[in-house]
Amino acid sequence: MKKIILLVEDDELDIISVQRTLKKLDTEYTLYTAYNGKEALTMLNDLKNPIVPAVILLDLNTPKMNGIEFLKIIRVDDRFKDVKVFVITTSSETNDRSITEQLGISGYIIKPLGYSDNTKRVDSMDAFVQFHLRKILGES
Amino acid sequence: MKLSTQFLLAFSVVLVLSVIDTTSNYLLSLKVEKNVEFLNKSQEIMRNSVKLHKTIIEMQSSFRGYLLTQDTNLLNVYNIGLKSLPILYTEEEILIKENREQSSLLDSIIFIHQQWTNYAKEHIKLQGIIRKPLNTNDLLVGGDFNKITDEKLNDSIRQKFLAFDKLEYKTRSLHKDNLISSIKRTHIFSLTFFGLTIIFGIASTIYIVRLISKRIKTMTQLAENISKGNFTTITDINNDEMTSLSTSLNIMSDKLSKNIKELEKQNGELDKFSYVVSHDLKAPLRGIHNVIKWIEEDLGNELSPQLKKYLDIIPERTKRMEDLINGLLAFARTREKTIPEKTAVAELLREIVKIIVPRNFKVEIKEMPIIITERLKLEQVFTNLISNAVKYAKVDNGEIILKCTQTDNSYEFSVKDNGIGIEEEYHTKIFEMFQTLREKDEKESTGIGLAIIKKILDDLHCTIWINSTLGNGTEFIFTWPLK
Repeated sequence: MKKIILLVEDDELDIISVQRTLKKLDTEYTLYTAYNGKEALTMLNDLKNPIVPAVILLDLNTPKMNGIEFLKIIRVDDRFKDVKVFVITTSSETNDRSITEQLGISGYIIKPLGYSDNTKRVDSMDAFVQFHLRKILGES
Repeated sequence: MKLSTQFLLAFSVVLVLSVIDTTSNYLLSLKVEKNVEFLNKSQEIMRNSVKLHKTIIEMQSSFRGYLLTQDTNLLNVYNIGLKSLPILYTEEEILIKENREQSSLLDSIIFIHQQWTNYAKEHIKLQGIIRKPLNTNDLLVGGDFNKITDEKLNDSIRQKFLAFDKLEYKTRSLHKDNLISSIKRTHIFSLTFFGLTIIFGIASTIYIVRLISKRIKTMTQLAENISKGNFTTITDINNDEMTSLSTSLNIMSDKLSKNIKELEKQNGELDKFSYVVSHDLKAPLRGIHNVIKWIEEDLGNELSPQLKKYLDIIPERTKRMEDLINGLLAFARTREKTIPEKTAVAELLREIVKIIVPRNFKVEIKEMPIIITERLKLEQVFTNLISNAVKYAKVDNGEIILKCTQTDNSYEFSVKDNGIGIEEEYHTKIFEMFQTLREKDEKESTGIGLAIIKKILDDLHCTIWINSTLGNGTEFIFTWPLK
């Protein structure tokens, strides 16, 4: 079964950007896209076709339900305890970062997604794909 | 109590005390004057009494001489006495009219003398008729006024004169005693009041000086605090002219404090605003940039050269836009405090030069201090100035001299180049935001660099100035705090 990547992002450009980067991967995967936390929850709890993603790429600034609220909900749900969550963040949102750190996340991807930033513990989209995603998707 | 009332009160008390003092002295001087007058009168009384006595004795001896010699010439003195005695008597009478005892003594003297004169007149009349010399025996036998009575009379007169004089001396000593005790009293009184005047004068002066100087000191302290940016207030429990001054000062301090706080708040908001704006402005740019990249990636071979040329213009322009935004971001961030650290300025400069100055430039770094300062900001200032020197160099032979002098309260750093220079009319303008003196595309220049420098230096209460003329290079000099 193909591993599932769930992208929670409201910016069309960022969605395309992620899609284009992921396309460079040779591994197979299925990408689901939700525009906000609420929509993502609906997808996870869909009775007909519930999904359990291997990776969630989470933008913290989404309408209706933001990333932090979404994260709080799935973190208490046993089904998703093994899901690796990567937070998409701008370099300035240091405050949000310290909150998400307590909620158990696997890493950060810096926004804008075309960027590379050498600050510690933050990866560019490319670096994320190269070092993290390849590894996660490769695991059986 | 009002200060002016206190001044007036103190002054009035001192004034009243000295008036009392002066009055007592004046009264004493009146007494002394009166006493002198009395003394003069008393001396005249004595003089007159001596004259009276003398005249009476002289008349008697003149009369006796006449009786013995029958020489009428000898009666001259007697006759003169007859005339002068009433005058002397009247004079004395007037002088002693207040003293009854003396008056009665004088009256009895005159009465006795009158009796004698009557007898003498009688004799002289008789002698004039008889016209012969009289011997002493005749005198003794012939008259009812013999030698014994004559002596008795003289004695009585002398006694009375003695009593008269004694009375005068007694009055005189009484007056003297009065005067001495009065002088003593006045001395004590005057000294006491003089002392009181001095004590009260000094005490009230000290009180007022302390009252004022202490409060002026607190107000000066307040003004100093305000100048240092501490908007304290002072408590003044008195209720006078200075209280209203301190109240005004308090109000001023309060208002200043509020205004500054408001200003700081607004500045903070502005910084935050420009930071947020800069950040949000960058996102769409990145989007545009990405889309162009994607088009080129996807359709690279299918694009006509013309279209490719057009598409290439877009990233150029977005890059410039991004530079502008980065500049704004840096400008907004200059207010943020950075951590002071030990900075070897020479080393810092070498690092900057290494990164931003091309190899063909000649750079000279003179002696530089090692200071504990906000390194990032100093770096920002130098980076901007040095990159300006590079940007506006004349072609090829660029030369940059960096030096530092230390004044009493600051460092003065100088960045001097031999570039194209700046006309004097632009010397102030260049420090304003978005002022660049060149055409947009000629060099990558946003016009924010010097504005950032100005802001950093303003925040540190430092200054920057420029020595330059067109074509002769530029020297920027800025001050930097010692600590």
